[in-house]
Amino acid sequence: MSVDVTSLEAQPGAPQEQVTKKGSGRASTLVRVTKYTAVKTITLFISVVIAVYLTILIANMGGYVDQIVRGQIREFIGQQLRANQEYQLMDPAEKNAFFLSQVERAEKRYGLDRPFAVRSLAFLWNAIRMDFGTAQLMSSDTGSRQVSLIILDRLGPTLLLLGASNLILFFVSIGLALALSRSYGNIWDKLIIAFSPTSSAPSWFYGLFLILLFAAVLKWLPFGGMIDSPPPRDQLGYALNVAKHLILPTAAIITSSIFISIYNWRTFFLIYSSEDYVEMAKAKGLGDRDIQNRYILRPTLPTIITSFALLVISLWTGLILTEGVFQWPGLGRTYITAIGLYDTPVIVAITIIYAYLLALTVFLLDFVYALVDPRVKIGD
Amino acid sequence: MYRNRILALFSGLIILSLLLGACAAPAPAATEVATEDDVATEEATEEAAPQTTRRGGWLDEIGMKVVGADSAITQIAAGDIDIYTSNLSRPQDVQASDAAGLERSFQYGIYYELTFNPAEFSTGVYNPFTNQAIRKAMNNLIDRDYINQEVYGGLGTPKFFSFVSAFPDYARHVDVIRGLEADLAYDPARAEAEISAALEADGAELVNGVWSHSGAPLNLIFLIRSDSDGTRVPVGDYVANQLESIGFEVTRQYGTSSELAALWVSGNAADGLWHIYTGAWGVGGITRDDAGDFQFFDSPDSAYGFTTLWQSFGNHIDPEYQALANDLANAAYSNLDERKEMVGRALQYSAEHAFHVWLIDGQAFSPWQPNVSVAFDLAAGVDINPLTTFTLRFDDREGGTLQWGTPDLFVEPANPIGGSNWTYDNQWQLLTRDSAVLLNPHTGIPLPQRIAGAEVYAQEGLPIGTTYDWVDLSFVDGNEVPAEAWIDWDPVAETFITVGEAYPDGLSSLIKTVVTYPSELYDRTWHDGSPMTVADFIMPAIMTFATGTEGSSIYDEAAAGGLAAFKGGFKGWNITSTDPLTIEYYTDVWTQDAELIAGAGAATLWPEYGYGNSGWHAIAAANLAEAAGDLAYTPDKAVVQETEQTNFVGGPSLEILAGYLQQAADEGYVPFAAVLGDYITADEASARYNNLLGFYADHGHVWAGVGPYILDQAFLVEKTAVLVHNADYTDLADKWSSFAAPKVATTEIDGSARVTVGEEATFDVLVSFAGDAYPANEISSVSYLLYDAEGALVETGEATPVADGHYTVTLSGASTSALGAGSNKLEVAVVVIPVSIPAFATFDFVTE
Repeated sequence: MSVDVTSLEAQPGAPQEQVTKKGSGRASTLVRVTKYTAVKTITLFISVVIAVYLTILIANMGGYVDQIVRGQIREFIGQQLRANQEYQLMDPAEKNAFFLSQVERAEKRYGLDRPFAVRSLAFLWNAIRMDFGTAQLMSSDTGSRQVSLIILDRLGPTLLLLGASNLILFFVSIGLALALSRSYGNIWDKLIIAFSPTSSAPSWFYGLFLILLFAAVLKWLPFGGMIDSPPPRDQLGYALNVAKHLILPTAAIITSSIFISIYNWRTFFLIYSSEDYVEMAKAKGLGDRDIQNRYILRPTLPTIITSFALLVISLWTGLILTEGVFQWPGLGRTYITAIGLYDTPVIVAITIIYAYLLALTVFLLDFVYALVDPRVKIGD
Repeated sequence: MYRNRILALFSGLIILSLLLGACAAPAPAATEVATEDDVATEEATEEAAPQTTRRGGWLDEIGMKVVGADSAITQIAAGDIDIYTSNLSRPQDVQASDAAGLERSFQYGIYYELTFNPAEFSTGVYNPFTNQAIRKAMNNLIDRDYINQEVYGGLGTPKFFSFVSAFPDYARHVDVIRGLEADLAYDPARAEAEISAALEADGAELVNGVWSHSGAPLNLIFLIRSDSDGTRVPVGDYVANQLESIGFEVTRQYGTSSELAALWVSGNAADGLWHIYTGAWGVGGITRDDAGDFQFFDSPDSAYGFTTLWQSFGNHIDPEYQALANDLANAAYSNLDERKEMVGRALQYSAEHAFHVWLIDGQAFSPWQPNVSVAFDLAAGVDINPLTTFTLRFDDREGGTLQWGTPDLFVEPANPIGGSNWTYDNQWQLLTRDSAVLLNPHTGIPLPQRIAGAEVYAQEGLPIGTTYDWVDLSFVDGNEVPAEAWIDWDPVAETFITVGEAYPDGLSSLIKTVVTYPSELYDRTWHDGSPMTVADFIMPAIMTFATGTEGSSIYDEAAAGGLAAFKGGFKGWNITSTDPLTIEYYTDVWTQDAELIAGAGAATLWPEYGYGNSGWHAIAAANLAEAAGDLAYTPDKAVVQETEQTNFVGGPSLEILAGYLQQAADEGYVPFAAVLGDYITADEASARYNNLLGFYADHGHVWAGVGPYILDQAFLVEKTAVLVHNADYTDLADKWSSFAAPKVATTEIDGSARVTVGEEATFDVLVSFAGDAYPANEISSVSYLLYDAEGALVETGEATPVADGHYTVTLSGASTSALGAGSNKLEVAVVVIPVSIPAFATFDFVTE
């Protein structure tokens, strides 16, 4: 990260000089920030382009997927024609011509009439411009072939599930970790440490466990899905119904990560809690809340913000297996389906959006650090 | 103290986990794994047709939602869903289903095999499967019973030929097949001896237990499918082990369908990149004529003839077999006896050529609650069986809300012309659909659903017959197609071209079908309240041509190929009466069953477009959108045109369709006015468009069918659908209740276990269903096969009827003399009319 951290001791120096050089200082800061922004933008953009093109190459196995799709097309058409009585009436030459015409049409639909190298560059160019076009095979839940709609249809449920669970997880972890860091070694602290290995099991595992308990045995909550069938007809009823379906997957995601998350943050806060200036503040008799807000949270803000920002963009990727266990219509399943079908436009679209989000986050975080931490300067 | 508390807490959690685990696990081995014999002896649940005044479907409401196959049985057992309609086939699922006391269907149609690559490799490396003897001996190397028990839990049926053992052609040729099976049965010593001899003849040698050729070990590349139902991995591993046990090196290349298709379908067989592939094939319904299998599977003239693999079959196939396979595929025989003789020869050739080694006829099932009943199809199961719509119900009541689980829903855009063809979408579409004919789920023969009567006039000499009396079959010396019959489409004038215009010298056809629809046909309404009219029946005929004819405003290249194939056999339509609607259908396409011919004729002018029912008005609005380039029926055209694919149930299409509906309503638009103008007025047109707009406002989609259930709500992202009872449906709910359970026969043989050589011996054959004797008039044949102590088939014949369900097999003194002393086996094969599944029984006896 191209930021310069200056020691706190150096900051108070030469206030008079700062005043006299105020005008030229502002100009130099502007130049520095502009230059930094330009360089950062270009490097991030190049990184994104490289990452996306690599994705295109990998998703298409360097072009070998064309061979796979050709095989699929031929197999599919052959199966179709097997059941076609009129086709059986044709003589072998007619059959062959008919078959080849069907294959040619299908290959054209998949874009196989152009070499992969050309198509890969077209995929890249479209991706960079966020022109996602239409999917090769997939359609959105609402029946559109537009890649943007394929993604948008799933974005709401994904944000609902992962947003709810991850935000709860994040803020509960931070809150409890702060509290534990101030009461190091007590029973709750030990319990959290004891339970932290439970996070080695993924959320889908807890999902199965919770389904078994609350859906199959106790029958309190649904096995999965997003709504009952038939669903309530009024909006409030619908919302409550969705909330009911949200409980188990959210609980699974939170359960799988809550203990290790609290443990991590608690350890992180403990390091800051034992700093000399915190001890000094305690010795001076500052209240717990003041110490927490001013002496622990403040210096850890960049880390917390970074973690939060990465968490937010991670929502984009969804949770493939957990979505599958709960039959939740999330983006993770869309992504894995696209990979399975070699639907390059969809794969590229999800990847490029994530890449742009990641690049933007990395870019903005530098500025946010500078805003929340006076020790950080941009561009030096 | 804290430590103790924590330990106590952990202990509690562990105990809770164990308890929950115990609750979840199905009782192990509590239920006997079903076998083919179990299926045959399964107690029937045929019910007397309930009396009811209810019309339409039995249920008030159906809630469909997506349920994973892994949890389906658990969810039914927990009462969360009432039925799961996808095919389950894992042995553990059967056990879990039976342990939970669930009801289930059984259906056939998927079968497994090994495909060999017999190409000469361009690399120069020796390919042992170029040798016919080695391919054939592979049959003897494989223990199909072992595969069936270990991989398929005994649910499947070992097979040696492509014919599905539950379908009619297997039953028709069971005597020939059983005779050939004895030669192909598991005999590893024989397999090793024959393969070794063939390899040595080809110049291979066994070095340190490994076969080598030209100094290099013989390494077989085995393509093993790792996806699908997961069974092909253990099957592939077993076969690979068997090959290794006789000295081959085997490279197991696991892969998904698409990965391996690149090698065995679109790759060059001569590249030497593979030797064996774990294949599987499926059918969507009971096939009544499988004689085309020989061409399809073994001949370069197959629909798969485009592959280099099938082309390589051409280097090995006996020209006589190739000609025979083509004759069978093209039905070039004059009677059924000749066909049987030809099939018998083809079966022999198939076994000798052994491009494929057939392994198992799979069996799948769908589970449901004990208080639910439904008629299931022996091939299509529950999910895509049209009779499901009419028979699905709660046993203890009429009405109620049924929860329906399915692996997916709303997979692709739905429109009647070129929409989703996914099984999961067919399910809800079937519930909204009505058809001219419905297939008997146990035999595959059509039954009249909306036909008053049908006559089939077939060219003399064609081997066509009837099973039911709703079709009158006559043989004639050619069918002259009337000059006024429609045969083609003028895309500019938007009128039909008549036979008189296209064929001034006249035209004849092999088949003429006259279908008369019932007089109350027009009493019915679409789900939007629009009355059914004759225009609804003419629109499908127009669309058959308009989408595939270049120059049409709705031309679609994707439809052109299908239309070209259709025109190959089509000879004309002629509407001779509109009330009652009576049509004549002329064609050169025929099958052995007159019911299938009549059903196909009736379906061509039924408002069913291949992907769902629709009134003409919905199609007219979609056509306007298609012609304007705003929407496209097929995915191919949508991609090329860069527009949305037409979707009647959701997405951006709906707003566009609603716009065109409004425009059409305002204008009183009559589509294809040169034809339909005779049947539709502008006022009627406006009223119908407005009806559909009202339906759209009420239900949020424009999928207005004519079947027993209405698609009430469709939640496309949430993957949930709600269907409600159509109170306006005309038929009584119990119309199809007689199909509660397939009448699969149970067969037993009784007789003396000791027979004196040279003396006559008589055995009783008892055929029953649900404990009652099977009526003689429902039994097609009872044939017997006699095997000697070596397992060779020595005699076949027909049993003698004695009474209902009672036959005798009498072995003459000459026959018992021919057996000699030893342990022999008598097998009977019973073919019944109500179901396609034959029943078998064997009896061991000793001659001394």
